[in-house]
Amino acid sequence: MSDPANADAIKVGIISCSGEEIPEGTISRLATLRVLRTLRPDASVTICLPLFLAGEGGERSFAKTHPTITVDGCEKQCARWGTEKYSGPVARSLVVTDMLGTDSAGCRRSTRSPGPPDEKAVRVVSEQIVSALDEVLQEQGTASPGGDDG
Amino acid sequence: MESEAGKNPVLVIPCSGIGKVQGLLSREATYLATDEVATGVTDTLCLALLVTGDEDAVAKVQTHECITIDGCAKACARKNTEIAGGRVAKAVQVADALKNHRGVQPGTAEILTLDGWSVAREIAEAVAADAERLQAGEEVAP
Repeated sequence: MSDPANADAIKVGIISCSGEEIPEGTISRLATLRVLRTLRPDASVTICLPLFLAGEGGERSFAKTHPTITVDGCEKQCARWGTEKYSGPVARSLVVTDMLGTDSAGCRRSTRSPGPPDEKAVRVVSEQIVSALDEVLQEQGTASPGGDDG
Repeated sequence: MESEAGKNPVLVIPCSGIGKVQGLLSREATYLATDEVATGVTDTLCLALLVTGDEDAVAKVQTHECITIDGCAKACARKNTEIAGGRVAKAVQVADALKNHRGVQPGTAEILTLDGWSVAREIAEAVAADAERLQAGEEVAP
């Protein structure tokens, strides 16, 4: 879990689906990590979804203490439904299959030897997460601290 | 566990840890097992789907032998499989595998190094051996 270091700054929680069965799960996790580590490191935090879903009060208060974006790999939307059931409404919900359509067809669930389709998918999804995150911060009255948009 | 379970693939359920290399190791070890080392003998499923109570996922863990691979001591994969009514025949801890490789740098949450792939393969081969024993109706050390 990437915990907020600065309690004064509003950080957006990004909860990725775990999606171990499908390539879109891997895409959602890698895109989330790209936002957290590179694109918006000062404006985002995350938590492991099953830990959050099965956790105790501290973990379950996540969406109550952070405006939250869920990133799901498929239409079952475990991240979104789980978050809304156990913690609270989400600010945005993104679904990889909606974003990529058939473009995820050449992607793999393993991170071994990623090819151009894998890299493109992660790039496209991470950019859409950033767009959503910036919108949420604007709604919260906080300008995005930015990051490496490249 | 019903005797029928022995005919089914063994479910290998990794943790979903997103922030540390241990989570990635658990998943890549799973994919090595299901897609390469023990194809047909093993299968996997989404842990979050199980945790949200999806009927198919719950039924699957209740009718298959399960091996969980957890990245940290919170053991989300093992605990949630048990909560869903599954029998965890073997609970693997990535940290235990890493103890045999002190000093190695397995990688990050996003990418494994060659050392990391070696650890993942070692876990996958151990899981594959246990899965074959379970399919044959034998017990494995938990």
